[in-house]
Amino acid sequence: MSSASVVISSSGNTALRVAAVTGDRETDWRLVHHLARFLDAAHVPGIECVIPTYDAALIEVEPTASLEQLAGFLSHAIGSLPVERPLTDSPRTFDVPVLYDLDDELDLASVARAQGLTVADVIRLHSEPTYVVRCLGAPGGSPMLDGPAFPAPVPRLASPRAHVPQGVVSVAGRQATITPAAAPGGWALLGRTPLSVLDLDTEPFVPYAPGDLIRFRPIERDEYDSLLGTRMAAS
Amino acid sequence: MSAGALTIVEAGSTQVTDLGRTAGPRYGVPANGALDQRSARIANILVGNPAGAALLEITALDLEFTADVDILIAVSGADAHLTVGGVERPNNQPVSVLAGEPVAVRHLQRGLRAYLAVRGSFDVPLLLGSCAPDSVLGFGGRLAAGDTVPVRRATPPIVNDHFRAELYRLGVPETAMDFVVDVTDGPDIADFGDTAARLFDAPYLVTPTSNHIGLRMTGPLPERLATGEVLSRGVPVGAVEVPPGDELLVLHRGRGVTAGYPVLAVVASYSLDVLAQVRPGQRLRFRRVAAEAAASRARIERAELDSLRHRVDAVFAALDALFVSNHGRTLL
Repeated sequence: MSSASVVISSSGNTALRVAAVTGDRETDWRLVHHLARFLDAAHVPGIECVIPTYDAALIEVEPTASLEQLAGFLSHAIGSLPVERPLTDSPRTFDVPVLYDLDDELDLASVARAQGLTVADVIRLHSEPTYVVRCLGAPGGSPMLDGPAFPAPVPRLASPRAHVPQGVVSVAGRQATITPAAAPGGWALLGRTPLSVLDLDTEPFVPYAPGDLIRFRPIERDEYDSLLGTRMAAS
Repeated sequence: MSAGALTIVEAGSTQVTDLGRTAGPRYGVPANGALDQRSARIANILVGNPAGAALLEITALDLEFTADVDILIAVSGADAHLTVGGVERPNNQPVSVLAGEPVAVRHLQRGLRAYLAVRGSFDVPLLLGSCAPDSVLGFGGRLAAGDTVPVRRATPPIVNDHFRAELYRLGVPETAMDFVVDVTDGPDIADFGDTAARLFDAPYLVTPTSNHIGLRMTGPLPERLATGEVLSRGVPVGAVEVPPGDELLVLHRGRGVTAGYPVLAVVASYSLDVLAQVRPGQRLRFRRVAAEAAASRARIERAELDSLRHRVDAVFAALDALFVSNHGRTLL
């Protein structure tokens, strides 16, 4: 099913994917997040959870719910979403210090080589922009960002790492993120933040939300050591 | 408030869990919870618990515990050799346990996971409304020998005074262990062109790296023919993907909620219960079904559980009425 602005397809018998196709990626992003907020507030019986990302939302439902009826309902509801309204009127900014991989333990040098850049260029391109948190992703509510302005997309690793530690700053394709919790991963790792991102005593467990801003700031080893374990907070 | 506690004597690979953290994916956290949701529901129904009550998920290895109060338990899922005080007792039935009697669940067969519910359930910490362990967040985890699990209520024995046996038939619906896994077409099936049909060519062998995050298996591999970057998107539980390497990946309830791999097919909700029972080294077949057929079967299975709950509630009501007439006080 499709209307002018979305394509709705089933993802198994307990989920629908709503992909936004307005032709404008900022509008697509706002649409899927406004949709998620609308569904959160509407408490539609049968809907378990919504996962809004960059340009799509996955809507998980109970096995007894009707996907056809839900798709019909959504194609009406989406028409009245305030897709031009910003996700937040006053985005918070998170300053994230990063010890870039100068000891060559991570993938900084190989990313630089593959991009035809110097290591200093990669650090500059990664730490220059102010990033918008597009969505919370895996693992552990990672802030999913648009990637830095590298010349080319960054390929995922041919063989993923079995263990990526928490606090790692990474890139893949045209995306970037920070990893709040240790997990396997196939993204290229550029550096590490000393900040502690995850806090299981607050729900949700991460301090930022979609629409907030993140800036990376290169630091040296001694600052890394002195900040280690500090909780990530808005500046 | 707890009435007593289980004390774990032999832990095997057992954890306290429930139906999962359904609110989690909104915040980048997988649902997790009982991998065989149907068997977990059955165990809770058989002791009169709500569907989402915390219970034990026992994977492959033996479990033994004692309780310091009388409790009512039920074991469902994989065939288990259940003994209470050394006496063999049935699966898929409510079973009374007296305080101090050792309860053992051994020799799991015809499946990988068994579920043990205790009437009244457990007092355990919750995260986003669920006690389900999350290995990435570092929440919950496997029990160890010596651990105690607080039990919310005691239940006096409901065995028949004359026969010391149950005289009722609850009619628990059978679980097929033929390892046929129904899938519907995934939203990205077109990326795989004609190679998508390879999924149905031959059985797949489940490999030992499989876990609650996903099952890995070897067999004919479909190939992604489309090129270009895929943005991270929400991934459904049951997504069938072809990551780099030589194995098919089928995601289960512990999956990362977002990923950038195209979704070839999605396992039907009821077949996720089948996947939960497949052991590494065993083979399974995928069967392509229409979305309507999968939805219809899911509803039928849920209706079977609803009627099981009605039968169990009727039995408990009858037992309680009998107890009240004999003893002048309520049993349950």
